[in-house]
Order: sequence, then C-alpha cells, then structure tokens
Amino acid sequence: MNNDMIINDEELLLYYYRELDAAEQARIGAALAEQPELARRLHALVARLDAAAAQPEVPVPDETQQRWRAALEQAASTSNITTMPVARRRPSSLRWQLAAAAAVVAALAYGILRVGTPGVTPNPPPLANTAESSAYENGLKFHLASTERRLANLGDATPEERARLVDAIIGQNRIYALAAERAGEPQLARVLRAFTPVLEDLANGDSRSTAASIDQLNFELRVMQARLGAGKTPPNTL
Amino acid sequence: MLTLLRSWTQPDAFHTVLNERSPRWYNACLRITRDAELAADAVQEALLKAWDRRHDFRGEAALASWIHRIALNSAIDLTRRRKRRAEEELEDDAFEAGPSASAETEYVQENLGKDISTAMQRLTTKERQIFVLKHVEGWRLEEIAESMQMPIGSVKNGLFRAVRKLRVDLQVWRGPS
Repeated sequence: MNNDMIINDEELLLYYYRELDAAEQARIGAALAEQPELARRLHALVARLDAAAAQPEVPVPDETQQRWRAALEQAASTSNITTMPVARRRPSSLRWQLAAAAAVVAALAYGILRVGTPGVTPNPPPLANTAESSAYENGLKFHLASTERRLANLGDATPEERARLVDAIIGQNRIYALAAERAGEPQLARVLRAFTPVLEDLANGDSRSTAASIDQLNFELRVMQARLGAGKTPPNTL
Repeated sequence: MLTLLRSWTQPDAFHTVLNERSPRWYNACLRITRDAELAADAVQEALLKAWDRRHDFRGEAALASWIHRIALNSAIDLTRRRKRRAEEELEDDAFEAGPSASAETEYVQENLGKDISTAMQRLTTKERQIFVLKHVEGWRLEEIAESMQMPIGSVKNGLFRAVRKLRVDLQVWRGPS
C-alpha cells in the first residue's frame, strides 16, 4: 500500500461518502491517519459542504397540511378500515435503543447549540478565522441533526444497510472529533469518540452493553452542559 | 412517541405519523424542488401510495422511511416533468414566466434565507438534487442514478461539479483533479 501517492479531492470525497472499493477505502483511511494535513483538508471540505447544505426547516403551511389530510380521508373513505389487520410488531429492544441513541444525539446537538451561544461558551474557539469557525459550527450542528435523523431510521434497515450507515456516522464523528480538538473543545471530541462503541454495538446488533453505554453518554452530556454553563471544563469521567 | 406505537393502519394513527413526520418530508422535498407547491405534491403522492400499501409495513419507522424516500423520488419526478413542460412551451415559442416560477423564487427568498441558499443557488437543478441526495440524504450513487434516470458516471460528475461550486471560497480545497 503506497500512501505517499497523491490523493486527489475527488477520491477524498468518495472516501468520505464510502463510495470507494474496500482497498481504496483502506488506503485513503491509512493516509488520513498518517497525514494531518490531509485530514484537515477533508475536514474543511466536509464542514464547508455541511454549511452549504444546512438550511433552516420551514413549517408546513396549514393549508398544505389540510390538503394532505383531506386526500388521506378521501382515500380512507374508499377503503374498509374496520377489517384492516393490525401489523405484527417487531421486537422493540433495538427500536428503543435507537430511540435512546437518537435522544443522545439530540441532547448532544442541544449541547453544541449552547456552546455556540454567546455568553455560554467559556472561551472563543481558537480557529484560524471566523469563516472557518462558522463553517465548523454549522457543519457540526448539521452533522448532529443528520445523525439523529439517520439513527431514527436505522431500526428497519437491513443488517448490511445498518452497518454501512453506522460506519458512515462513525467516520463523520471521527472527522468532527478532530475538528473539535482543533477548535479547543477536547470534551466535545471525547464525547463524539465515546459515541463510537455505542454505534458499533448497534451496527453489530449487540444490545448487551448498549443501554449502559447510552446511560453513561447521557450522564456525560449532562455533566458537559452543566459545566459549560458554569464556565468550567468538564472532567473526563469515561 | 407513545402515540406512534398504535397501529398506523388506523386513520387516526396514520394522521399522527403524518403530523409528526411531515415537516421532515416536506423540507426534504423542498431541498429537491425549491418549490413549495411541488414539494407539497410530492409528499401527498407519497402519502397516498403509503396508505394504499399500509399493511405492508412492519413498523412506524419503516412507514416513515418509505414515505420519505417515495416523496423524494416524486419530487425528482415532478421537477423533471415541470422542466420538460417548460422546455416544450419554449419550443412552441409560447413560454412566459408562469406564476409557479415567481412563486418559487419568492418562497425560496422568504423562507430559505438568502445567505444560506446563495451557495446552493449556484448549482444547476441536477447538481443540487444530486448533492442533496448524496450529502444530506445519504443515498448511494447507484440509487441516485436510478432515481434520476442517469448513468452513474454522470451522477458522479454532477456531484463533483456541485462540490467544486460549493467550495469556491474554501482555500484548502485544491483545484480540479
């Protein structure tokens, strides 16, 4: 494996999207681990794309909601709803774990939003410039929201799809953990990394340690938010 | 959440899923269409298809994910159909900017925010759709190619073009490779 070969931006992007074959994926992964500049390049690119993709959610207009309801009611009126079989429910343990994991991410997102709120952040992030800092924050918020969305949909994915999606989330977490360290937020980097084994358990369908890990992460997040609110650096309790 | 644990095959429960999830579907479609009316149509189309097939779903998440995906496919299809219609009208030398075009612009400017959408507005419709499906929705390139009825190589090139446009002010992104 020759990691000294120049990795162009298109390859880097396909690596991020997990669209390369296994050998190429491994080659670029190794290069990223060895070359901080390459990892920075990837992080900056992803942060910029996340910021570009970030878009405020707009509410559904009332008249649109009413139109959908009317269409559904019309459809329902033509079918015999009293004879509908109740769908068989799948074992719920994984669903609840996923919901809990999504809640952790949501809580993390909330924590990040608070970190980004003037008067709450104990120190300004020492990023090189404001534009990059803004891209980082926007990208991180987007990543967390996106992760929450993906986790919520994992329950009905096939094992292969679940493994692929979780792998993608872990990869993105790794990038943002690096960025968080660079931004002078080691506690955030730690929490992002701590999320990885929980995700791996979910990908592997191993539920034994997941609930405890999620509880621990929840606790960590509360500590982090409380300490940040008080202007102190959270301790490492994991 | 508890309400979602009821059977969605009951109309009330189906409406509950609709209430809780529809903003996400609607906003996802808005990213694809940049048109409020088309986005609403896409979601409605997906909802009606889901209602017809409600017994096939094993869980609320499956139903919601399915509607999300079908709505995005509908959004792509509706955008394509509108573009085709506009081109036909142009060929007939009878085209004039219709109310939908101005409504789209107005909606985007009012609701999506000029600053945030500036970068995305530099993209063509196809580039934007490919980028959203890949970067935001996490679709595989093969899935995008199938939905957009394009060769996978064209999807890949569209994605690269979109990224190049979006990184204009990003110094660390090194030129085309």
